[in-house]
Amino acid sequence: MMDSSKNDSGEECPLEIHDLTVAYHKKPVLWGIDLKIPSGNLIGIIGPNGSGKSTLIKTVMGMVPSSSGWVKIFGKSFRKNACRIGYVPQRESVDWDFPVNVLDVVLMGRYGRLGLLRRPKRDDREVAMQCLDKVKMLPFADRQIANLSGGQQQRVFLARALAQESDLYLMDEPFSGVDAATESAIIELLHELKDQGKTLLVVHHDLPTAKNYFDMLLLLNMRLVAFGPTEEVFNYDLLQKTYGGRLTILSEVADEVRRHAEADS
Amino acid sequence: MAATFRIVFVLALVSGFFPQVLEAAKIGDVTETRVIEQMFRFLSLKDPSVRATVIGTTLLGICCGLLGPFIVVRRLALVGDTLSHAVLPGVAMGFLWNMEKDPLAIFIGASLAGLIGACAVNLIKQTTHLKEDSALGMVLATFFAVGICMMTMIQRLPTGNKSGIDKYLFGQAAAMNQEDLILLSVVTTVVLLLVFLFYKEFLVTSFDAGFARSIGFPVNLIHYLLMLLLAFSVVVSLQAVGVVLVSAMLITPAAAAYLLTDRMHRMLILSVLFGVVAGVGGAFLSFLSNNLPTGPFMVLSATAVFLAAFFFSPRRGLIPRWWRQRSQTQRICRENILKAIYHILEAGEFEEEGVTFSELSIRRNEDLLEVRPQILDLEKADFVTVSKSENRIYFTPDGWQTACSIVRNHRLWELYLTNAVHYAADHVHDDAEKIEHVLEEETVRQLEKQLNYERRDPHGKPIPTFADIEKGLPTARQSRPATGYMSKS
Amino acid sequence: MSELIPSFDFQAVFIVPWQEDFQGYFLIATMGFLISLSCGLIGNFIMLRRMALIGDAISHSVLPGLAVALFLSKSLATTAMFIGALVAGILTTVLIELIHQNSRVKPDAAIGIVFTSLFALGVILINVYAGEVHLDTECVLYGEIAFIPFEPLIDIGGREWFPGSVLRMGGVTLLVILGIVLFYKELLVTSFDPGLSVSLGISTRTTHYLLMGLLSLVIVSAFQSVGAILVIAMLILPGATASMLCSRLPAILWLTAGLCLPATLAGIHLSIWLDCSMAGAMVIASAVFFILAWLFSPRRGLLQQLIQKVRLPEVHNLTLDNSQE
Repeated sequence: MMDSSKNDSGEECPLEIHDLTVAYHKKPVLWGIDLKIPSGNLIGIIGPNGSGKSTLIKTVMGMVPSSSGWVKIFGKSFRKNACRIGYVPQRESVDWDFPVNVLDVVLMGRYGRLGLLRRPKRDDREVAMQCLDKVKMLPFADRQIANLSGGQQQRVFLARALAQESDLYLMDEPFSGVDAATESAIIELLHELKDQGKTLLVVHHDLPTAKNYFDMLLLLNMRLVAFGPTEEVFNYDLLQKTYGGRLTILSEVADEVRRHAEADS
Repeated sequence: MAATFRIVFVLALVSGFFPQVLEAAKIGDVTETRVIEQMFRFLSLKDPSVRATVIGTTLLGICCGLLGPFIVVRRLALVGDTLSHAVLPGVAMGFLWNMEKDPLAIFIGASLAGLIGACAVNLIKQTTHLKEDSALGMVLATFFAVGICMMTMIQRLPTGNKSGIDKYLFGQAAAMNQEDLILLSVVTTVVLLLVFLFYKEFLVTSFDAGFARSIGFPVNLIHYLLMLLLAFSVVVSLQAVGVVLVSAMLITPAAAAYLLTDRMHRMLILSVLFGVVAGVGGAFLSFLSNNLPTGPFMVLSATAVFLAAFFFSPRRGLIPRWWRQRSQTQRICRENILKAIYHILEAGEFEEEGVTFSELSIRRNEDLLEVRPQILDLEKADFVTVSKSENRIYFTPDGWQTACSIVRNHRLWELYLTNAVHYAADHVHDDAEKIEHVLEEETVRQLEKQLNYERRDPHGKPIPTFADIEKGLPTARQSRPATGYMSKS
Repeated sequence: MSELIPSFDFQAVFIVPWQEDFQGYFLIATMGFLISLSCGLIGNFIMLRRMALIGDAISHSVLPGLAVALFLSKSLATTAMFIGALVAGILTTVLIELIHQNSRVKPDAAIGIVFTSLFALGVILINVYAGEVHLDTECVLYGEIAFIPFEPLIDIGGREWFPGSVLRMGGVTLLVILGIVLFYKELLVTSFDPGLSVSLGISTRTTHYLLMGLLSLVIVSAFQSVGAILVIAMLILPGATASMLCSRLPAILWLTAGLCLPATLAGIHLSIWLDCSMAGAMVIASAVFFILAWLFSPRRGLLQQLIQKVRLPEVHNLTLDNSQE
């Protein structure tokens, strides 16, 4: 209990979340999440719209403040271990007219380990090129990012995450708006990363493919509904619980909380 | 030498846009020397005050030009505007410090006021339902009102040396003194140094703040550092550009650079260059026009640069884009006529060597008056030759090649649509009419392969092969008009 | 410092001016009230559409329009000025659209470029023709409402009541009120949900340009009294203050109207006390009202938020416990 950052086999737990609650404008969107992620897995986060999937990732990254609870990455706070996380944001989160080319974006993945005042060296360029090659985007290295298709933009983000050479990857809907070829290329790459012992958390919204893509699933609907190996978790009862039925009451309660907070004031 | 050249260039550019300004300077002057003499005085840089002005505006251009790109790509353009208006009470406070125009006191006061303004915008945005635009406008105007009230109060004070304080509204580069210049160069050096050292941090936080945070960059700290530098550069530019217009020196050169390049470091270099051009050019124009305020002239010089980029940027400019579109339309039109000639020849089983004007006009469904200039245009482009005596049109080798590949593209695409995509045969023509002009050689070869080198299109017409086109390649132009390079004979 | 801020004397600040020059102060107060009323009312809709900064841009760029009109007509002829400024105002919106639709420059930068350029052009024109037109560049920034009493009065029904500019402002204010009353639902729907307005058959475009036209008109009429920059405050502050205090649009509009008179009077007396720019003082008074509302609004004030923050953890624990049952 005391040494909660280690799991049974003694290695560090990539991500541990304890009693995490997050509220937007007084309305709770995540309630008391407790979670311990075992390392070396490809984990899908699934749940209906507004169930807090992206919020969960953003809270882990410290981009959204939490109302209570804490998050530990490899046993330390996010700030101390930021360099061990690779993050793939949603594609819409950046301005694609920005004056940088594909290689510049991938090089940004190296910035975290460069530290202050240091510039990317030849080695970093080399790594960036290799990462681009892995996502089959090498021929586009000099392209301005606006001149890419949606799938290609997503691959660039992925290459950037690869260039970070992290141990834990958090990806926010990497499959949204990409073509089938990119989707299968991405999933192949994710499996490759997993085989190298990395841990990957992927927000996903397509149920039918979720079963085949991930070895573990995290069912989320404001609360943690279930977390476990796909074959155990991906069943009718739990999905019903996640996507409908009893749990929708949570959102009603959440609204009530807000009304309560406002009326109280 | 290079500087002189640049100045002359700016003059040429700006005087093209605003001829009336130059002329007006002459009208306004009663006692002044002629424009040419004034020009000479400025360009020779003999006058120490002119030298100071040129140095000052160059530094200013560098300083604003370096920060501008980050403001533009972060969509903070109007934050810059708010910041620049919000410094006014600080200027007044700085003046009140010891009742004279003390650059350091004014610098500190104005920077503080600017930062307070920026914080006030953030605070309003975070703690109220008001949107960013309202918050910006509100802070801008309120701070400015406070500043104006303080200025009017200072004006009626009996003591103190008030000269120069009114120059802060619209700017007067010539009013910059030694201390102003020192301050300006210090700030420019600091900005230069910090942008150089933290280029990577500024870049990544501007592009993707979420990602920057995820790799452990202090995003907020960098944002406030940028705001601080922004406030500094606004404040040191005040003397030359004035409170009202200083934001333009940040936004406009950077926006012009944004239109010209796709890389951030090039954008920085271009923006600095444009900033310097606008700064020195503005000072020069204001000098010519008998020391009217410099700010408006600098802003207009920057706008001239922006307009030049807006219209003439090779890739994004309005005019190159319009030109490309036009030449594309022209190409398509030519190709369609060549195709029509091919069709006529084909209908005659390629027995005739040329087509007559009337045949073409019937085929194109246009009257002769319309067809004739089109033919002459083709002749000029060396696609056809026209024999005036026979009133016939003959393909040149180029013309044959083009016509043949267009027909090939058209028919291959029709075949592809019917065979592979299963369009109805009568639906494919219109689509092919468009596609035929854009298909590239590589794609066409792939199409052929995919269609098993089928020789007939869905309507039963033969598809010209690559060999047919090649056969048309002549060794030299023949004295007699080139013939139809028949594929069947 | 003591020279800067005169000692406060209630008699001298609040009573004496009205006794000495009742008509002058009455005219200034009327003008200030009319300006803040028309600006405040129309400003509410501008804010709802998130166009506050377009208002800013227009207020700056009417300057070259005014300058050209003044130069061409060689007088402060009202119609020429209206037309010039209206053209410049509409030109601004068109230019902004043109730049950001035909290039990758974002709207905010486009606004920044357009209004600074036009304003600069206006300043130069006015400076160059300084001898010929009666408009000085500093007045352009903050106006001279204190000059209202020196304008010639216009004869109506045998008595000389008001100067032309006040009458004009009155007309514009009536027009604004009339426009809001007549087209209230159109303005509301197009501001709130352009998609819905299309399905209701209300033209978003027409409404937009009508509003822009009205805005230009208000800005032009207010321009000489409050200047290009302070007019933005007049547009935003009263509406923002009112919206801190109530939540429904009709109530906000009424409250905006109600705030105008106290703000104007407070501004006048502030400027008498400090002997500073009158228009600036009116804006400061409005800003003080806003700050008060911001701090103490019972619905969403800072103080209220602070109290809630102290109490929020309790609320959380309570509801979480409930949910875990």
